[in-house]
Amino acid sequence: MKKLMIIFSTVLLIAGCVMMTGCVGESPTSNAPADTQAQTNTNEISTATTTEPQYKDKFIMGYGKDPKLKGGKWGIGFFPKTQVLEKLVEYDMKNDEYVPSLAESWEFKDGGKTIVFHLKKGIKFSDGTEFDANAVKFTIDRLIVRNHGLAPEGADVIDKYTVAIHFEKPGFFNLAKMAEFHFGMMAPTSVSPVGDPNGTLITPIGTGPFKVVDYKKDQYSTYEPNMYWYNERGIKPKFKEFVLKVIPDEDTRIMALRSGEVDGITDFVHGGSEYTPRNQLNVLEKEGFKVYKRDIPITRVIAFSYNKEPFNDPELRKAVSLAINRDDIAKVFDNQVRPAWNGMFAPEAPGMAKAGIKYEYNPEKAREILKNKGKEGLKVNIIVDKGQGDQILVAQLLQQQLKNAGFDPQLEILESGAYKEKRNSGNYDMRLYYIGGTDRRFYLRMFWRFYPDSKWKAYESEKVYELYKNILENPKDIDKNNREKDLIAFYKALYDETGVVPLYHDVMTVVTSPKVDAKQDELFEQAEPQFYCVGVRK
Amino acid sequence: MIKYISKRIIHIIPVLIGVSFISFSLLYVFPGDTAELIVMINTGTEPSPEMVEKFRAESGLDKPLHIQYINWLSKAIRGDFGTSWSSGEPVMNEIMETLPASAKLFFSTFAISVGFAFLLGILSTLYKDKIIDHACRIWSLLGISIPNFWLGLVLIWIFAVHFHLLPAFGYGSMEHLILPVLTWSMSFMAIKTRFIRTTLLEIMNEDYITTAKAKGLSEKAVVLKHVLRNAMIPIITYLALGMSHLIIGSVIVETVFAWPGLGSFLVKSVFTRDFPVVQALIFLSAVLIIGVNLVVDILYALIDPRIRYSD
Repeated sequence: MKKLMIIFSTVLLIAGCVMMTGCVGESPTSNAPADTQAQTNTNEISTATTTEPQYKDKFIMGYGKDPKLKGGKWGIGFFPKTQVLEKLVEYDMKNDEYVPSLAESWEFKDGGKTIVFHLKKGIKFSDGTEFDANAVKFTIDRLIVRNHGLAPEGADVIDKYTVAIHFEKPGFFNLAKMAEFHFGMMAPTSVSPVGDPNGTLITPIGTGPFKVVDYKKDQYSTYEPNMYWYNERGIKPKFKEFVLKVIPDEDTRIMALRSGEVDGITDFVHGGSEYTPRNQLNVLEKEGFKVYKRDIPITRVIAFSYNKEPFNDPELRKAVSLAINRDDIAKVFDNQVRPAWNGMFAPEAPGMAKAGIKYEYNPEKAREILKNKGKEGLKVNIIVDKGQGDQILVAQLLQQQLKNAGFDPQLEILESGAYKEKRNSGNYDMRLYYIGGTDRRFYLRMFWRFYPDSKWKAYESEKVYELYKNILENPKDIDKNNREKDLIAFYKALYDETGVVPLYHDVMTVVTSPKVDAKQDELFEQAEPQFYCVGVRK
Repeated sequence: MIKYISKRIIHIIPVLIGVSFISFSLLYVFPGDTAELIVMINTGTEPSPEMVEKFRAESGLDKPLHIQYINWLSKAIRGDFGTSWSSGEPVMNEIMETLPASAKLFFSTFAISVGFAFLLGILSTLYKDKIIDHACRIWSLLGISIPNFWLGLVLIWIFAVHFHLLPAFGYGSMEHLILPVLTWSMSFMAIKTRFIRTTLLEIMNEDYITTAKAKGLSEKAVVLKHVLRNAMIPIITYLALGMSHLIIGSVIVETVFAWPGLGSFLVKSVFTRDFPVVQALIFLSAVLIIGVNLVVDILYALIDPRIRYSD
């Protein structure tokens, strides 16, 4: 017995020693791909004076998705689309205008069926090759050969810095497409053979602030500053290397930030998933972490199966809307999101403030409607996508609110494929859905959500369709003022018909360690965070 | 012995064919239009009907199921599982890239959990109903009850956030391996400890053990020389079943620790309806289990000569 105890203790001791030897050595903070941090190189912007902050050479960001830098069949991920590539135009939602980016100006021809872009001169891709009309044509042709859903009909090079892009239908929407994620301009040298739209992607080369240096699928990707981009703007990067580490689990991302292994964590730059839990933001801020937040025009909604009973009746849809206390829904997210009281689209959406819409919370009125229709205790089912954890919480709260208003709601939490099948077949009463995205997707989502032939539409009616068509396809709505009038009418029609019930508007967040320097207006000069401006103080 | 092994090998063939057909056809009962879902998930846009139909034709999804199966099988037996619908890379390349991480995690966990399971199982048997036995049983109950994701996060909090001793996530050095292995081996070890203890205790009641004790052998000699050897057959069988985890892995551990293993790769492929990858992983997992069982059958014959003579 004594012998056995000694053996057992020895084994435990050895096991403990083995574990501890694993702990000796480099600190967990040096967790980068090369497992070294270049601590000794002087930062570019450091000067002989003591006033300029000194920054570390490496910035490490935790992110929930693989950036897909090898592309493959479906192209690269959203992170490189926003940090490596740039578009011809960008969208200024505040003024409802498209502003120059790689194109300095453009003209609509034939009601918008063709747009002629005049490109900025002297712009270089990160590999030193010139950005010109051929690069634009290459990018467009690559979308076409891949049969991308948004691909134009074609592009023609007019001269070195002028390119005409042709679309199937006229209208303002064609310009909106050019600000889309998928229209990031890529260098022809990104593929092999060079310039072949069908070529194999070697590495995405763009004009944006980041240049791809290294990539290990599902683990990390490494970027360097694209000095052409920085020099063009007369600014200096605060890092020599930006490492994006893939951490799928949201709790692990937060732990990694707390342990110091990453300098920051960011939401999935597309919005809508893989984000820092909203109810952790206040906690992190109290602990001293910096929380950068930006409202984005994604609205989570209740969508109906409006072609069948019971919700082919707009009065019953209105009853659902009256039953919902949107403030309580925002509390699920620790009030980090905005309750959607003032319209289906976010308040900053063009024309939304002028529309003057106000949703009401009145469960008694909802009961009254059900009673008048003889539908007290109306049994309805709500389908929720299991992959969206937060939406399950929202659905559970909705279930309670609808019960209080006299409905008998049943929740069905479904696997993604099953959810989409039910959605497509209309075999449900209500579902949780979303409209919008980051700013650049405002008009695009309108197209996807209200186009009658779209399987992903949220609602359709004759009036809504006519208004939507005007906005996106009528050449007269290329004019901003006409477009605003039609947008206001569109919002009001959706409200009057209770096409969907808006719940809340989401946000985009970046959380960093207290040592990180970044300005809110630089980080969020667009809806997707731009990391060119970040740096970790030594 | 050769006849015995040959017989075992012949029995495998119909099993492999059955497994290949099941793994091939299983995903076609999933709800949803596969082509449409794949295109939408991987482009991030709602695809046009033309895009969906083009994809359907390119990937052979428009052919009858039995034609798809024959085409698939003829390539699979040569190790060609086609290309991933998500990445466009050959499936085997993707698997081989991910396999080292999975193997590292699995074999480390297996070695530690089996080693400790034997130790605790034997101690528990030797000191049945004593404090050591109770402690081992409580330990194994905890191991079974505590969810992996919770344990993983707690260990991260203690060792990475609080004490800064180990990394919270990632793959690379020995340091990165410690917490995922600790997390996963808890449940692995717990289940095996209980099984080993139960098996040993059953054999302790056999007549020949009573005889051995009556002959004056010590408790330790009885357990280590007689009980253990006779318990090896069921124990080896049980341990062999665990080999399937090499391919399936522990999705939870891999997700919590951002470990780029085959488990999370498989789950991601299921959600994105990347059929070539899912088919390959299920098929390879089945092949591995069948292969391991063949090895176990051969080991049976070595451990217990009665089996080879009676077969």
